[in-house]
Amino acid sequence: MPTIRLVYVRDLLRELVLRDLKLRYKRSVIGILWSLVNPLVQILIFTFLFSRVLPLNIPNYTVFVFSGVLAWTWFQTSLSMASGAIVDNRELVRRPGFPVAVLPVVTVTTSMIHFTLALPVLAFFLIFGGGHIGLATLFLPLIMLVQFLLTLGLAYLIAAAHVIFRDTQHLITLGLMLMFYLTPVFYRADNVPEEYRLIYALNPMAHLLTAYRAILVQGVWPATGTMALLFVMALILLGIGYAVFQHVSLSFVEEL
Amino acid sequence: MDPAIVVTQLGKRFRRRGGNRPSTLKEAILRGMRGMRDETFWGLRDVSFSIEPGRTVGIVGPNGAGKSTLLRLVGGVGRPDTGWVQTRGRIGALLDLGAGQHPELTGRESIFISGVISGMLRSEVEQRFDEIVDFAELDDFIDSPLRTYSTGMQMRLAFAVAVHIDPQILLVDEVLAVGDIAFQRKCLDRIAQFKTQGCTILLVSHDPGQMRGLCDEVIWLRHGEVVAHGPTDLVMDDYVSAMDTVTRQRTPEHVPIVVLANGQELRIRDNRFGSQEVEISQVRLLNQYNRPVTTLRSGVPLTVELTYRTTQTIVDPLVSVSMTKPDGALCLDINNVSTGVVFPPLTGEGIIQLTFERLDLASGEYFVDVGVYAQEWAYTYDYHWHVYPLIIEGVAQSKGMLVPPFNWHVERGSEPE
Repeated sequence: MPTIRLVYVRDLLRELVLRDLKLRYKRSVIGILWSLVNPLVQILIFTFLFSRVLPLNIPNYTVFVFSGVLAWTWFQTSLSMASGAIVDNRELVRRPGFPVAVLPVVTVTTSMIHFTLALPVLAFFLIFGGGHIGLATLFLPLIMLVQFLLTLGLAYLIAAAHVIFRDTQHLITLGLMLMFYLTPVFYRADNVPEEYRLIYALNPMAHLLTAYRAILVQGVWPATGTMALLFVMALILLGIGYAVFQHVSLSFVEEL
Repeated sequence: MDPAIVVTQLGKRFRRRGGNRPSTLKEAILRGMRGMRDETFWGLRDVSFSIEPGRTVGIVGPNGAGKSTLLRLVGGVGRPDTGWVQTRGRIGALLDLGAGQHPELTGRESIFISGVISGMLRSEVEQRFDEIVDFAELDDFIDSPLRTYSTGMQMRLAFAVAVHIDPQILLVDEVLAVGDIAFQRKCLDRIAQFKTQGCTILLVSHDPGQMRGLCDEVIWLRHGEVVAHGPTDLVMDDYVSAMDTVTRQRTPEHVPIVVLANGQELRIRDNRFGSQEVEISQVRLLNQYNRPVTTLRSGVPLTVELTYRTTQTIVDPLVSVSMTKPDGALCLDINNVSTGVVFPPLTGEGIIQLTFERLDLASGEYFVDVGVYAQEWAYTYDYHWHVYPLIIEGVAQSKGMLVPPFNWHVERGSEPE
């Protein structure tokens, strides 16, 4: 029975993710390519600003900022959409036997697919913009897994919180904006003055970006110790998020 | 055999609507934790019953009695405040039929999504895909987006998916009143088929006829508590007579006697019943030239027109028209909901017309009775009994009731040599 249940959840996840993707790009001419436009424009702006107007003197800046923007976009869209994961799916939550816990997974997975779709473009820049594709690139799925688990843990907390307090969404938008500037997406953490480093040490996204850049820009293995620690923390956070979500989920029906 | 569903001392508390619970973080912080408490009432209270496998059980009760809440709790949606529910077997649900559907998705995409949401594996949906399309009668439109479908087509699609899940326990909430008559028939047949396959069915309906036709037993809920649980006929008889009591209680003491255009007198509690929240101020029987008639030839069109008057906004009104012979034989009984028609809310004064393209009644005397009822047949607003006579004239005199268009045809064999 458990295997059937697992197969079922996989099927459900697949259908719901496909539905999200189809709905977003139905009746648009270039379809899913739109998911590339947003990060590309951002990269264009950052490259112009920080290599021409305010030069930061970061080598291979395009690849540097591209990897940062992609990973950040995944993180950000997941969390800002997570607040609607339950609230916008009222009729699913009210269906007998529907595993509500799958909804935040759908949110994070949908954003991950956008991330994955941009990888070929990133590969193009890696080859022609001075990055590295080699053995270290094999670590990419592992880093993605850590980011997935970390984001999902937060998504569970946000989705549950938003059902009870409908201004969670605004808090998240604000928090994400703040976090964007405090995460070295378009600059290097090394440039941050010593006394502020603690903020960065505590920001898991900062460590993830460092890991992405290690393998993509420098072509070296990510710091094993940091990654292992991040992985364990992501698992713990996911455990807490899931437990809180499951606890609150029993009263979702009444709150919607 | 072990019961399929056991419900033990089930209770569910709800917050009163418009309660003062904070819904934003700011409010909650400003008020401190005191604000988290609020007024509640019991939506379900101490409900216990058990259902043997293969039984079809109806749930009746007025609006807000807790029928849908009970159905959902049995389906495992939401958390009871007291008691518990035990079920055995895969649960299928005909509730919230459109879940997961979206106007931009095609019929094909919708079938996969709805199917998986209803609890099927993708491979199971694939296997039954043709069957589902067939049942929904949508072969030609299956790759068009849902926004091009009529409401009826969308309902058919949703229902077709829902009935292909092979459940051991089926929960049905008032979905049978949708779609055209032919499709309703098909759905009822399908439910009957589930029944013969040994599926346990729990169903909510307001149609007493449907209840009597489908259910082995009935649970009657009022204010969240079980009033009666027993064989269908026994419980339904009590339920219907209790509804009549409600109407009697709501009937005003003094309603002036009305003398109708045909000379008949309309007296409250004699040939007129109901709370008068909606008043039927005039009833006219019109022929195809829009002229009032009392005599009509068999097989020609007839329009029954009622003028209503109300000072409130009446949501989901039920309007029924029936025809009986003087000996009480019911020849025709039509209401908007069982024919799949939902009326807009009634306000002020207006008219409602029911047109028969042809009335193939046998010649004789009939009474046209009209009534307007509160939603879900809770009680009667106004009902006029046996004050609108209609005489049908026809060539063929017979004891039967119907004279549809007919032809004789005789074929002769060869004559004997």
